[in-house]
Amino acid sequence: MGLRLYKAPQLETPILVASWPGIGNIGLIAVDTLRGILEAEEFGEIEPWEFFYPKRALIRKGILEHLEFPSNKFYFKKTEGKDLIFFIGEEQPTEGGRVYAEGRKAYQMANLVLDVAEKFQCRRVYTSGAAVALTHHTIKPRVWAVPNSEILIREIKEYENTVLMSDIEGRGGHGNITGLNGLLLGVAQRRGFQAICLMGEIPVYLQGLPLSYPKASKSVLEVLSHGLQIEINLDKLDELAEKVERRIEEFYQQIPSEVRGQLDKLKHVTYPKPTEPGPITEEEEKRIMEDVEKFFKKRGGGG
Amino acid sequence: MSQEYPFKIYKKPNLRNPSLVLGWSEDIGNLGRKVTDYLNRKLKGQEFAEIEPEDFFSLSGVTIRGDLAQFPESKFYACQEHELVVFQSDSPRAEWYRFLNSVLDVAEQHCQVKELYVLGALVSLNAHTTPRELFAIVNSPDMKEILSQYDLARDMDYQTPHGERPSLNSFLLWVAKVRNTHGISLWVPIPFYLAAMEDPQAQKKVLSFLDERLNLKIDFSDLDQEIREQNEKLAQVRSRLPQIDDYIRRLESNLTLSEEENGELIKKIEDFLREGG
Repeated sequence: MGLRLYKAPQLETPILVASWPGIGNIGLIAVDTLRGILEAEEFGEIEPWEFFYPKRALIRKGILEHLEFPSNKFYFKKTEGKDLIFFIGEEQPTEGGRVYAEGRKAYQMANLVLDVAEKFQCRRVYTSGAAVALTHHTIKPRVWAVPNSEILIREIKEYENTVLMSDIEGRGGHGNITGLNGLLLGVAQRRGFQAICLMGEIPVYLQGLPLSYPKASKSVLEVLSHGLQIEINLDKLDELAEKVERRIEEFYQQIPSEVRGQLDKLKHVTYPKPTEPGPITEEEEKRIMEDVEKFFKKRGGGG
Repeated sequence: MSQEYPFKIYKKPNLRNPSLVLGWSEDIGNLGRKVTDYLNRKLKGQEFAEIEPEDFFSLSGVTIRGDLAQFPESKFYACQEHELVVFQSDSPRAEWYRFLNSVLDVAEQHCQVKELYVLGALVSLNAHTTPRELFAIVNSPDMKEILSQYDLARDMDYQTPHGERPSLNSFLLWVAKVRNTHGISLWVPIPFYLAAMEDPQAQKKVLSFLDERLNLKIDFSDLDQEIREQNEKLAQVRSRLPQIDDYIRRLESNLTLSEEENGELIKKIEDFLREGG
């Protein structure tokens, strides 16, 4: 089980930005878009075979020529401001058919990613994922930020359109981040790295759809680029977000009008502090969740 | 379990340069289990090793098959007089790479296996009266050359379709290739309406190749009898149920059936074979 680094770039205390697939692929799209815009260069990978089942076989004239595995690659970019290392995992290593990584394999992978970070004297890590929220797809998604150390809270409070868990009604500062996008934070803490997970909001009724949600990726990227002090043009992501939004709207119109009426109320959610009266009542919130659950159960999927 | 070698060897077999035949227990048409059982029965295979299940299978309970509780098993048998190692196993659910390497560790390091044959079945839209073909996929051009003297389809082109994953057999073949071990994956098509049952014709096709290639000198009279009996049963269904006969005739003429017709054919054949004709 190992790392393969093809190059040894000279990097000055780089920042690691890592992501794996998750709900709406919000984090993955954000990180991969940034990697693409900055034209970061591939310099290594985690050997995949001990973590993954292969994804493609190529047989030619009766000879097994190639077996392709999900990729787990490292990229680097030297910028005027900060040097960056990207890690992008095409899949989360799962055991026994689970969707998100957990257990020994996940821990091993998180440590391998951080081994590279350590090798290049990186001290700051960002990961990114999705936050399933009582919000509407017409609303600009916020970014939920979870740091792994107290010292980062003040910094996060300066980020625009970003909330801490304690800002979210009913959470009391608690929650969990499933899979490697979350696990990496914990492993980073153990190994003395500062780390922040940035999660773009996805409406609760979209979480089970086989659709990406680039609108939230854009919110994440806005926060990330601020944190990294780099300016990037997000026009391409806007185009993708518009395309997906049209498909979401088509889906939305198929939802029975009674359920849709409940979901429409989410357009007016303004995220009050726990002490303030909310724009939708607790009773309404419960009903929305029940309606969404019923609708997806009826469709025989989702969720 | 995190031990380096997740297998137990009860007794080291006395083999010089054997081949390994490997079959999975939950195969289409039960092919892997039937062929490996047959080899062990005819060639007096003796169990000598097993892979421990705890790292590779979900041990949250047991499955039930044929009214019996089943626990995952991964066992090696030695057929000493025939220089053959047989491996019969449930398909692992996790840690595939480590599992497949463990199989090859036992085969190569403890038995000096020189080449491996892994068994697989494909669902076919052909009728049961169509002669079975045998496809071979190898992991080296040398092996392809060696197989040229046998009645095999050896020129298959294939790429895993989007949304699907390669077979465990392809994974094993690749692991063997990395370890410089010759490997052959054998695939026999089984008519779709026998896929959940058994297909002795398909078993015979595979076994005949192994018999010839490995010089096993097996007497197939019992399997031939089984084939005759199944053919008779299928002929009975056709004569009793004209609709089923019509479906099979159409398949024999290379016509396709509707999804509903396929479903009816499968159900009627399975019911008939389960009831014993």
